[in-house]
Amino acid sequence: MLILGIDTSTEVLGLALADENKIKAEYNLRLRRQHSEKLLPLIKEMFAVLEIEPSEIEAVAVSTGPGSFTGLRIGITAAKIISRINNIPIKGVSTLEITASSVKNNGIIIPLIDAGRNRFYFSIYLREDNNLKLISDPEAAQLDIISKKAAAVGSKDIYVVGEKSKKAADILAAELDNNIIYPGREFDYPQSSILAVLGHEYIEQKREDDLYKIKPKYLKKPQAEINWLKKYGSQKSES
Amino acid sequence: MNSEYELKNKDEDIYILAFETSCDETAAAVSKNGLEILSNTVSSQVDLHKKFGGVVPEIASRKHLEFLLPVIDESLEKAQLSFSDIDAVAATYGPGLVGGLLVGLTAAKTVSLFLNIPLIGVNHIAGHIYANFIENPAIEKPLICLTISGGHTDLLYFEDLKDYKILGRTRDDAAGEAFDKIARFMNLGYPGGPAIEKAAMNGNPEAANFPRAISDNESFDFSFSGLKTAVMNYINNKKQKNEEINKADIAASFQEAVVDSLKIKLMQAVEKYDIKSVVLSGGVAANKRLRTAVKKEIEKYGLDFYYPPLQFCTDNAAMIAAVAYYQYLNRDFSDLSLSADPSLKL
Ligand SMILES: [Zn+2]
Repeated sequence: MLILGIDTSTEVLGLALADENKIKAEYNLRLRRQHSEKLLPLIKEMFAVLEIEPSEIEAVAVSTGPGSFTGLRIGITAAKIISRINNIPIKGVSTLEITASSVKNNGIIIPLIDAGRNRFYFSIYLREDNNLKLISDPEAAQLDIISKKAAAVGSKDIYVVGEKSKKAADILAAELDNNIIYPGREFDYPQSSILAVLGHEYIEQKREDDLYKIKPKYLKKPQAEINWLKKYGSQKSES
Repeated sequence: MNSEYELKNKDEDIYILAFETSCDETAAAVSKNGLEILSNTVSSQVDLHKKFGGVVPEIASRKHLEFLLPVIDESLEKAQLSFSDIDAVAATYGPGLVGGLLVGLTAAKTVSLFLNIPLIGVNHIAGHIYANFIENPAIEKPLICLTISGGHTDLLYFEDLKDYKILGRTRDDAAGEAFDKIARFMNLGYPGGPAIEKAAMNGNPEAANFPRAISDNESFDFSFSGLKTAVMNYINNKKQKNEEINKADIAASFQEAVVDSLKIKLMQAVEKYDIKSVVLSGGVAANKRLRTAVKKEIEKYGLDFYYPPLQFCTDNAAMIAAVAYYQYLNRDFSDLSLSADPSLKL
């Protein structure tokens, strides 16, 4: 199964092509806000280099965040159209899961995505051999909150990966008694090859998404909605 | 990049699928040979934004992502075509809200790559203008077009459909923006154009004398911020004096001032240029008072007068599909790297 992986959730534009579990191509380009301009030309170039026709793509995996809302919508829009045109399965994978999956050692893994203003999107995973288990749902918080949550998971090794993970690991190490591990720069972004492999696994297990329902993990209502609810409560009958 | 695609000639039928996501309507349409619209599907978000008194960009972007695919499906179904029948794909790339534009544009780029058909980036303002030609394909040129909406107020001279000149535009607020701001200020609801028009129906347009455009001025530019301030001051004054505020009269007087200002500059242009037709376009062209007032003036000159049918005044993708056809004939295609341009001008 030839699967395309698309990740536009962070400033790294990720694009990968995998055939079963063989990675045929992987791009991870730190582009900041140019995903809209670069994504489709990059897919086109990748197809040209590999001599693959767009119609040969048999599945598509896309990161669903958390991350940049605009970025996520670019990747998910492209993935939806590809799924629709080629009539192939689509699977959304959490950006935090992609990031956490890069750590193969047993222990606690905390993947981070920069949410701005000193906050991170994070979740907590536990790896036991081949099994990666989510033990704390994605949320956005500052490092002191993350530190408290991490402290509650016990005395295991804690791997800190994802955006700004070096800095975050230093701060957590100063606050916690756990063995805090920063595995290195190659773990500080979601890797698109991992997305493609995870997507493939989910689809093999018949856990694909509904093309019409797949959407970003926003983790937050639009600000205007929050302000409106603050002002008017939950009453809905404003004309 | 022409050689990349197998292109059809002018004598063959050309089917174009177009997307429009620049504001609060998620739309897709299929055109045949430009002006024949096979389907025109719109999912309006107007009700979702009503309570906020204006379009909330983040909410609009979320809804575009959710609605676009069902809208595309419905559009193809109504046209009784499948993706493989489409010759080119078009999308609005500006002006508008960037988050929304990116959804439609990314969708179109993906269709272009995966069907190997040309991508055509379309200017939304051009769409509103070409909406007229959908209903009136035999419109005579040269013509003058006044395009007015929430985002733009442009006065244009068209030698033919490919060649035009901008005579004037707004220096501050767009006409529709003035409607929205005053409607919000008066708590008349959203969108402001229809809300003001409705309130004005029972009002006296001469109740208050608000400022108009200056007619003895060479420029064809518009300005509405002075009018907006005048209306707000008028209301605040009344409030301070505890005088009764007649919303119908204020709405009617404000509307009359906008209509007059637009009319004054339009007629100045009609005087100066040798033309055959006059065209109104854009959301504000739906205003009946404006249509009637302009029509009366134009008829004095014996010129043809056109305004879009109501369904084409609001944002839709049929107009984008129509513009895209002329770009197809001109081989005016876009690259997959095309950026959304929120402040794109004509
Ligand atoms: Zn418009």
